[in-house]
Amino acid sequence: MMKASAFESYHPIVLFIFFASTIFFTMFLTHPIYLAISLAASALLLSTLIGLKELLKTTLYTMPIFLLISISNPVFSHRGVTPLFYINYNPITLESTLYGLAMATMIVSIMLWFRCYNLIMTSDKFICIFGNTIPILALIISISLRLIPRLKDQIKRISNSQRTLGMYTDTGNILEKVKSRIRILSILITWALENSIDTADSMKARGYGLKNRTTFSIFKFDKRDIVLLSIILLLILINIIGEIQKYSSYHYYPYISNIDLSLKATFYYISYLLLTILPTIIEIKEDLKWQSLKSKI
Amino acid sequence: MAIIKIENLSFSYPEQKSKAIDNISISIEKGDFILICGKTGCGKSTLIKQLKPEITPYGEKEGNIYYKNSPLETLTNKESAAEIGYVLQNPDNQIVTDKVWHELAFGLENLGVPTPTIRRRVAEMASFFGIEKWFREDIKNLSGGQKQILNLASIMVMNPKVLILDEPTAQLDPIAATDFINTLYKINQQLSLTIILVEHRLEETFPIADKVLVLDKGKKLIYDTPRKVGQSFGNSKNHSIIHGFPTPIRIYNECNTNDKCPITIREGSAWLSKNFKSNANKVAPYRKPPHSKVVLELKDIWFRYGRELPDILRGVSLKVYKGEIFSILGGNGSGKTTTLNIISGINLPYRGKVLIHGKNISDYKKKELYHNNIAVLPQNPQTLFVKNQVEKEFEEIVNVMKYNKDEAIEKIHSIAEVLNIKHLFKMHPYDLSGGEQQKVALAKILLLNPKIILFDEPTKGLDGYSKKILGSILMDLKKTDVTTIMVSHDIEFCAKYSDRCALFFDGNIVSEDGPVAFFSNNNFYTTAANRMSRHIFKNAITSEDVINLCQQNLKNDIIKEA
Repeated sequence: MMKASAFESYHPIVLFIFFASTIFFTMFLTHPIYLAISLAASALLLSTLIGLKELLKTTLYTMPIFLLISISNPVFSHRGVTPLFYINYNPITLESTLYGLAMATMIVSIMLWFRCYNLIMTSDKFICIFGNTIPILALIISISLRLIPRLKDQIKRISNSQRTLGMYTDTGNILEKVKSRIRILSILITWALENSIDTADSMKARGYGLKNRTTFSIFKFDKRDIVLLSIILLLILINIIGEIQKYSSYHYYPYISNIDLSLKATFYYISYLLLTILPTIIEIKEDLKWQSLKSKI
Repeated sequence: MAIIKIENLSFSYPEQKSKAIDNISISIEKGDFILICGKTGCGKSTLIKQLKPEITPYGEKEGNIYYKNSPLETLTNKESAAEIGYVLQNPDNQIVTDKVWHELAFGLENLGVPTPTIRRRVAEMASFFGIEKWFREDIKNLSGGQKQILNLASIMVMNPKVLILDEPTAQLDPIAATDFINTLYKINQQLSLTIILVEHRLEETFPIADKVLVLDKGKKLIYDTPRKVGQSFGNSKNHSIIHGFPTPIRIYNECNTNDKCPITIREGSAWLSKNFKSNANKVAPYRKPPHSKVVLELKDIWFRYGRELPDILRGVSLKVYKGEIFSILGGNGSGKTTTLNIISGINLPYRGKVLIHGKNISDYKKKELYHNNIAVLPQNPQTLFVKNQVEKEFEEIVNVMKYNKDEAIEKIHSIAEVLNIKHLFKMHPYDLSGGEQQKVALAKILLLNPKIILFDEPTKGLDGYSKKILGSILMDLKKTDVTTIMVSHDIEFCAKYSDRCALFFDGNIVSEDGPVAFFSNNNFYTTAANRMSRHIFKNAITSEDVINLCQQNLKNDIIKEA
């Protein structure tokens, strides 16, 4: 379970822009330093959200994927100019191995970022973003999210009832099973259509379809949201400039490029680091604040 | 000032000869609490739907409805949406969105209210109804009672002038229902909001209503204060509507005393003290439970839904005898329904044994267990229906049971005869009323030729008269040696019809006895008739018991006087 998070309490738009930009950057910047930063930052954030123990558990799940990608790339791709050794007269190259490692890092960090995203961006926050731009879509999503658990629940009830009629089975041959499933589905559809009349009545009774509908959201856009959003946008801008100036580009084939460690390049690396660990900084700041508050209480 | 005035209103649905509403004229004062009652299909819902233009059904309408002295038709859509609130029966069906706060804001969004105002009004309503604690919750995590309170709140947030409710507590358990009715009373008293309530649950609503409208076949039978309505039924004792009336009124109407009609239990109990001295004949006959062969036995059943989850049942043991009606009572989450699912083989206990006719349930094959043996009538009969015609529902079962043609026709007709559903054969199951759906579902499972029938909340949403019919069906089944096990919240119903009752608490049975001993030993968890009469009569648990005793006493008095 996730603990109360300070970053989470910002306005959904700020959160969304943060995740969209970091995930986007992680996907397109294959520079080893950028990838390393992204992986470290995502792991850090996740550990502040779910704790170190849970993070290690997650790492265990992602390990096979990491290994699979990093091993399969050099085995199947023989590009690159520096052979390390040969398998069946096929060269395993340094470049291809490193590229595999880079891709594996990228995939794993994207997975970690998405895990953070899912923890922080709950459905109502997601809807809030669309509420301001495409209100009808937001309402449709909300109605669907209401409907899915209801349908699941009803399927269970129907199958229990049908089972006691001796008309439903989850054992037996495939034909019988398919027949049972179709039967349940048919009952479910009738039920859903019949009961949706009530929902429509309830919507009409509360004035759905009147002109000038507004969209309410419990999320407020505060001063602190403006501050954080400005910082995020500034850092995104800096990183885009870095990309345009080719500081974040890197190529693996035919031979790996050098890593630029000039002052200007380092500035861009740090700006990326800042962007990605921004939420972790906020969490740590909040923790420290509570530490000091606690001593005063 | 009359807020709503109905003048000579008649309404008939398309292609139907009889009128659903027949020449009704009433006037409703501002701040009144109006209770509308009557048998299912008497036109209650049709009448109140006329008051809410958005959901008025199509049909032929005569007469006029005035809202604040101007015709209802002149109301703009926006005014009508905001000023006339409407709550439906099913708590689940009327919720539109997935979050509590969003549902509360939904109506105001539609009215185009700006966000800061919505924020204030939603907050106001959430505090008034005690919703703060689950304000950010997903709808799927709420209980039925919470959902219905949310429905009420999400209408109140629009600041209506009239609140119309169509059997809002029919799907709730008694505690949630009482909570809901108390909330309505609070709204009526504190905000002087006009409330029009259609209900079957009259025991709690009669005392708080200002006026009661009784409908029969679309006609106004009486529209007066609850006391006068109670009083007036003395002359028309045999009217079937009286079966749903509160216990004190029913008992009063069976005894010809010339005083004021009691409405609450307190008044009823005072009325008994006044008219009946502690005399002879005060013990009601003790109903003895039958003892025959054990058909079902649970031996030390333990159950939980998952390894990590808490126990739902903790060592339940019980025996059910052939041909008896066994009732399982208890609060929500006490394990009643789970026990029913264990008996029907849907859930498997992780410890303990279920013996059916002395044979372990796991030794039965599927077909053996559910055909000619155990049948279940679920809480929502709609989950049993597959076809688009009642008749086809029956044919389906007949085919499965491999009856030959004559046998099938004979069986269907004899069952239809007993349940009185022959006129429904060509209808779509979903077009039937709740009580009719239940009867058709019962007919369907009776075709499976069961020896044991399990009922889950059979009286939920039924009016008094339909309950009486269901009761007599149960008694008929009993005559054919069918064993009935029911799970219910309906104390009155269980007291009247069961042979034995068991009280579930915290995953186990805490008491088990014949209804007389069971209820007369309880102080709170007992019938209204028992609570009203326990200081005068011993062992009287149903209103029939009390009525019999009263009449006997009256007779004795007359003999003495003579």
